Amino acid sequence: MSAAVVSVNAGILLPVLAPAVGAAVVLVTDVAVQHLRRAHYVIALASLLVGALATFAGLGMVSGTARRTLCLPGSGRCMYVADSVGSTLQLAALLAAVLTLLLSWPDDKKQPRGGTAVIVSLVLAATAGATAVAGARDLGSWLVALELATLPTVALVALRGARSAISGAIALLTTALVSFGLLALSAALWFTATGSGFLTPEAALAAFHDPGRRPILVLAVVVVIAGIGFKLSLVPFHAWTPEAYDGAPLSIAAFLAGVSKIAALAALLVVIRAVAPLGASPLAAIGIVSAVSMTLGNIMALRQNGVVRLLAWSTVAQAGWVVLPLAAVSSGAVHASGTYLLAYVLATLLIFAVVAALVQIRGAARARDLGEYRGLLADHPVLAGALGLGLLSLAGLPPGFLGLVAKVAALRPVVTSELWLLAVIAAVNAVLGVAVYLRWLLTVISTPDAAAQASLPTVPGGAAPVSAQAVRAHPATLVAVGLTAVALVLTSLSPQMLLGLLGG
Amino acid sequence: MVALLIGALVIPAVTGTALIVSGRVSRPVSEVNANTVSLVTSVVTAALVIATVIARPVLNQPWLTSLGVRLHFEVDGISAPLLILTAALSVAVVVHARSRPPHGASPSTFYGCLHLVELGALATFLARDAVVFYVAFEVVLIPMWVLIARYGDSRDLAARADASGRFVLYTVLGSTLMLIGILALVQASGTADMNALAVLHGARIERHTQIIIAALLLVGMGIKVPVWPLHTWLPPAHTIAPTAGSVMLAAILLKMGTYGIVRLVIAPLPIGFGALAPAFAVVGVIGIIWGGLACLVENDLKRLIAYSSVAHMGFVVLGLSSGTTVGLQAALFANIAHGVVSALLFFLVGGLKERWGSADLATARAALREVSPRLGIALVVGFAASLGLPGLVGFWGEFLAMYSAWSPAPDRPQGLMRFLVVMAVLGAGVAAAYSLRVLKLIWSGDRTSPAHADAGGGEWSVLAVLVAAVLVLGVAPGLLLNSTFKEAAAITMQVPR
Repeated sequence: MSAAVVSVNAGILLPVLAPAVGAAVVLVTDVAVQHLRRAHYVIALASLLVGALATFAGLGMVSGTARRTLCLPGSGRCMYVADSVGSTLQLAALLAAVLTLLLSWPDDKKQPRGGTAVIVSLVLAATAGATAVAGARDLGSWLVALELATLPTVALVALRGARSAISGAIALLTTALVSFGLLALSAALWFTATGSGFLTPEAALAAFHDPGRRPILVLAVVVVIAGIGFKLSLVPFHAWTPEAYDGAPLSIAAFLAGVSKIAALAALLVVIRAVAPLGASPLAAIGIVSAVSMTLGNIMALRQNGVVRLLAWSTVAQAGWVVLPLAAVSSGAVHASGTYLLAYVLATLLIFAVVAALVQIRGAARARDLGEYRGLLADHPVLAGALGLGLLSLAGLPPGFLGLVAKVAALRPVVTSELWLLAVIAAVNAVLGVAVYLRWLLTVISTPDAAAQASLPTVPGGAAPVSAQAVRAHPATLVAVGLTAVALVLTSLSPQMLLGLLGG
Repeated sequence: MVALLIGALVIPAVTGTALIVSGRVSRPVSEVNANTVSLVTSVVTAALVIATVIARPVLNQPWLTSLGVRLHFEVDGISAPLLILTAALSVAVVVHARSRPPHGASPSTFYGCLHLVELGALATFLARDAVVFYVAFEVVLIPMWVLIARYGDSRDLAARADASGRFVLYTVLGSTLMLIGILALVQASGTADMNALAVLHGARIERHTQIIIAALLLVGMGIKVPVWPLHTWLPPAHTIAPTAGSVMLAAILLKMGTYGIVRLVIAPLPIGFGALAPAFAVVGVIGIIWGGLACLVENDLKRLIAYSSVAHMGFVVLGLSSGTTVGLQAALFANIAHGVVSALLFFLVGGLKERWGSADLATARAALREVSPRLGIALVVGFAASLGLPGLVGFWGEFLAMYSAWSPAPDRPQGLMRFLVVMAVLGAGVAAAYSLRVLKLIWSGDRTSPAHADAGGGEWSVLAVLVAAVLVLGVAPGLLLNSTFKEAAAITMQVPR
């Protein structure tokens, strides 16, 4: 390889290449051999796991060190940098994609619209986008990767074909287009201000110290926050979230709550790390957006009676918590934000997995209605226990120690920077959040209504409730519940396992 | 030696979790088996706690290295009485539940939750890392919520959901504010080690910052204590909670707030607390009078005792605010005294409520003196201690708190503090009035119907032991005052006399 050419290290790029190649292989296989279904999933799982293994080299690295590739000759600047935070987010995205696939595993009866190959390759493509954006350090690949992580989700939501799915997909598509417009604008502003195609602190600092270019740079950062705010479901860019979650199949809603959020935060962190040396001024917007997101998300979640919509509003509130530490100019802010995101994703995926299992056992109507969770602990103690752990983790209360530690980590940079008002707003929202999740949990641990019990014998055919009990969840769904539950229990017993991944 | 300490935490954690899980995955555990397992656990835990208090081992291990949090547990004179109180009352609630079993859901979950509450309280009193203290503080929350929400008074389900929700939400608001205060304190002083924080005495923190942090911590922990006007969660929680829940709540969980104020506000932030102490004393005394007046007209006996708790904790607040060693000792003594007395009263009243079917004082009942002399004598001792009769445990804490506030530390406004003492004396008078009112309504008289059974078995042994504790600590307060003297003197920086 000559010195004039960009260096390429495929090993470092493997977390991106593996899902991308996997998507291509799935499509080629579908053309070569038709009517395959499970094979697509097996190929996809294999590629995701290969990618996940490839991230291990980057986990837990000391701050300041990173694995770099796609470096420009001479300048030492690299277009792809995987440090410990980036690698951890890549790992999380790949594993969250595995969960999505497990939840959408085809059963024997129904052929999903579009066939499994389309679904699987779309999931893999979006995942490749998510892992790519975590490493991207130049404007072009950052922008393309972020859109690659977003656009397939529109198709995934729409594929179900139901009216609600189409309206959800349209909401998502409109948002994605506006968001892309903003991000493209911010990229242009960034380039105008810094004259550099790289998202690096050096470029930002040079522009910041020039009074003529500083306003453009600040504007670029604010527009980036707005553009990514759409993807993270931050208020006031959140409106698509309940529509899309509710319209999409559960597995895809889990994908939106998991992989999409990881991609969005990874993209935001790339920019934040570039502008962090500038100090507070461009980041003040994050504090406001964070406070409003938490408050509105929690209040709306309190009013929901459908669990998927509740989870959608909970995402809005949790997104506020995820970006909360970034409002502070502090060395620990990026880690804190990553920690909170991982805790949120793990707990939310567990809840989605439990809801998916209940959809298979009790039917979609019952599993999506909050009132129908009354007495779940008596009927399905294991699923109810897993659900309870997920809810308590989101609420940040023991035994969900992971959520508790994440709350501590997220508040610490805010307190360190003496943003007292923001800290108190966060405290009030911790209370609102607890109210949201305990409302659900109280339903789960309550005894079934006396009235509902009395009405059971009047069901025509008498035996209906018994036969409903006999339906089992799909093994892949149960595996998904088991894996996430075990991961959440282990990280709750020893939160350092997860904190350590993000490095020191 | 460290094994004792680890055992005292691990055993309730493991048995508590096992009891909760066991009833779900296999066939339900019977009431008697659950109680037996629970009794063995609490007795073993109590033995380990006592051994820990005697041997004073130290555990200090890194835990969350990225956040600089260490698993640091140890015992000193301030925490030792609280640890023993927690362990002893955990045995007592299990023994009591043997003759008065829980209602609502599976008994094994009930006992499991009790052990998790015990675990959280023990860990809170043992913790010496400020962040671990916060984590332990939160451990009690969900088990206590389950106890209220699932095993509480089931006559009014909406009231039950409201009471349990109010308990959790108030406490979470308090503990999150406390967390913010703790993080700020750790940031400002550069250490999370509570021993180091106490030694520093706020040396590295400016007055302005000290006041902000102390205010956050006082409001946060004031909700737990509870300090007027943040007490409104307490009466409904006590009214609804099952007997064991009320006992744990009043006798142990409220103490976590005052203990935290001593460790995290008074010791590390002397200037900040000094600035806020007059206001803190004022709300404490308002609590004394407010609680007393509420008790005069309250007709639900459990709610009445809850309001009397607000009044008693007001004396603790007054003692803490005085800034003297005597005041701090008085507060720590009153803390334990209230633990013993409120446990006795809640055991009694919980038992009476089950016998009567309600805790309404307006309904005419058989006089306890006539139909159940054991319950009667325990009630007399309990209320006598509650009104602060000399020779009983309630006297010393309240008397010394007023004594210390009369001649407070030099930087406190003496005139205001003396005025507050006068008001507190009035509050003590109100306490005598409501105590005698209750005794008149349910103890004296000569009605003998509707008759109910007297206490026996586990219930009577628990009541008898608590009555004995009220008498012994009342006659020999030195047992407790000597334990806290050295540490209290170190915190107020006064030369031991």
